[in-house]
Amino acid sequence: MPEKMNLKQARKFLKEVEPFLISDRPQVVFDMSQVRHIDAAGVDVLLRCMRETMKHDGDLKLASLSPQAAVVLELTRAGRLFEIYETSTAAAKSFSCFLPNAIKHVYAQPLDGLLQMPSDSDQSGGAGLAA
Amino acid sequence: MDVRAVVLIGGAKGDVPGAQERIGGVPFAYLDVLGLPIVERVQRRLQGFGVSCISFISDSPCDSGPFAHAIEFAPTIPHVHAEGEQLWQTAEETFVKYAEGGADLIFALRIGPYVEVDYEALVQHHLDHHCAVTMAVDSDKEPLDLFVLSASARTDAAALFKNRMQRMRRECAPFYVTGYFNRLETTADLRRLAVDGLLAKNAIRPEGAEIKPGIWVGTGARIHRKARVIAPAFIGAHAKVRAAALITRGTVIEHYGDVDCGTVVENSSVLPFTRVGAGLDVMHSVVGFRRLAHLRQNVEVEIADQKIVGMVPLTPLSRLAGSTAALFAFLPMQIYRGLTASSQRTSAAECPESLEQAHIVLDAPVVEVPATGAETSEFPSHLAVARRYGDK
Repeated sequence: MPEKMNLKQARKFLKEVEPFLISDRPQVVFDMSQVRHIDAAGVDVLLRCMRETMKHDGDLKLASLSPQAAVVLELTRAGRLFEIYETSTAAAKSFSCFLPNAIKHVYAQPLDGLLQMPSDSDQSGGAGLAA
Repeated sequence: MDVRAVVLIGGAKGDVPGAQERIGGVPFAYLDVLGLPIVERVQRRLQGFGVSCISFISDSPCDSGPFAHAIEFAPTIPHVHAEGEQLWQTAEETFVKYAEGGADLIFALRIGPYVEVDYEALVQHHLDHHCAVTMAVDSDKEPLDLFVLSASARTDAAALFKNRMQRMRRECAPFYVTGYFNRLETTADLRRLAVDGLLAKNAIRPEGAEIKPGIWVGTGARIHRKARVIAPAFIGAHAKVRAAALITRGTVIEHYGDVDCGTVVENSSVLPFTRVGAGLDVMHSVVGFRRLAHLRQNVEVEIADQKIVGMVPLTPLSRLAGSTAALFAFLPMQIYRGLTASSQRTSAAECPESLEQAHIVLDAPVVEVPATGAETSEFPSHLAVARRYGDK
């Protein structure tokens, strides 16, 4: 995610990630380690992203929150709406932990840098997303 | 005995990380704690012990932006602005001026630390030990940046100020402070000072009327009847607590602070002229000057968004203008919103298919649905779509 999540940057970011959010069952992780400034517009975009993913039966998780982002999310009560992980890898792995055993064997390989796990319906070519 | 004081504000050592002794560029010394700035409390304490003349020398510019919000408090305090090395030179010059003016003893203290010392005992200790300079220390023998100097000891005073109050020319018997002290290095210390005041652990008493046990309210403060304030708490003069706000766990809202609707402020300090937006959770923090210092995460964040943390206008005129503009803009704004707001529903609601089908008993549809031509969705609306997890 960008360093600044103000109105302008947030809109730009939303445009970039929108195609991924409206795919079938998107499983998305936002790495927020680089975020230094986030305002109400930034939080709004996160919530919109979450809403889009939920609409498409997917999920959005946050990872590696910078202290600044963590403070603002707590302040705006948005933090409690997201699953937050220490690292992007942990967040990505959390998607697979509910998969059936048979599918787990297929997707249990380490996925370096790939933050989106293909959903069980996307076995024939699910798109990955590193945001 | 003629006792005078030179009070330095700033001049921190800077070798302790995070110990900046200020927030948003404003030294803690100038900030209100339970309704009164620390410098003014120190001044009152010194005057209470019979100190005849006090000089305040500060290294912070009085005309900088956020600082301007904090200097309204005490016009009676004489200020001298001197930065860097100039701060210590000015202190030395003031000492010489006082010595030549007939002072017998001169206190030199830095804020910096807030120390509740028995000045009479300190003077007695100084006189008993026939020292040129006496240093006040805590029980671990750590200096508290508070000294008593004999007016005749000009060389010792010069050496002390030259060494930025870190070293003395001659070692003397230190005076152990048994009373309350707070080093005021970080925002956590500032918060601790306010909490200790609320819990009566120090001599700082809230400037206001105690309307309920443990709840102090300053003059002109407005608390909405639907807001909730839980003791201990302090609401400063002219502060506003709006509807459905919750103030709890030792929260301090300083003068002209403004807590908007539905916001929860827990174990936090809202600094003067700070507006906290609606529907927020402010917890374990010190908020002010468009900054938020989170004490648990030990991080200070700049918040540029006025909707979250803003500033109340400093002058009464600008506050009045703002309130009037908001009042007159309210109705047109509501009308505009009512006319331009788009409906959440983008298409006509579809009735479930089951309603369109002929009923077994009635032999006719339950509800006659006019043909809209709208596309049917993938799933009928009465079918719940459960999310699949694992093998379920």
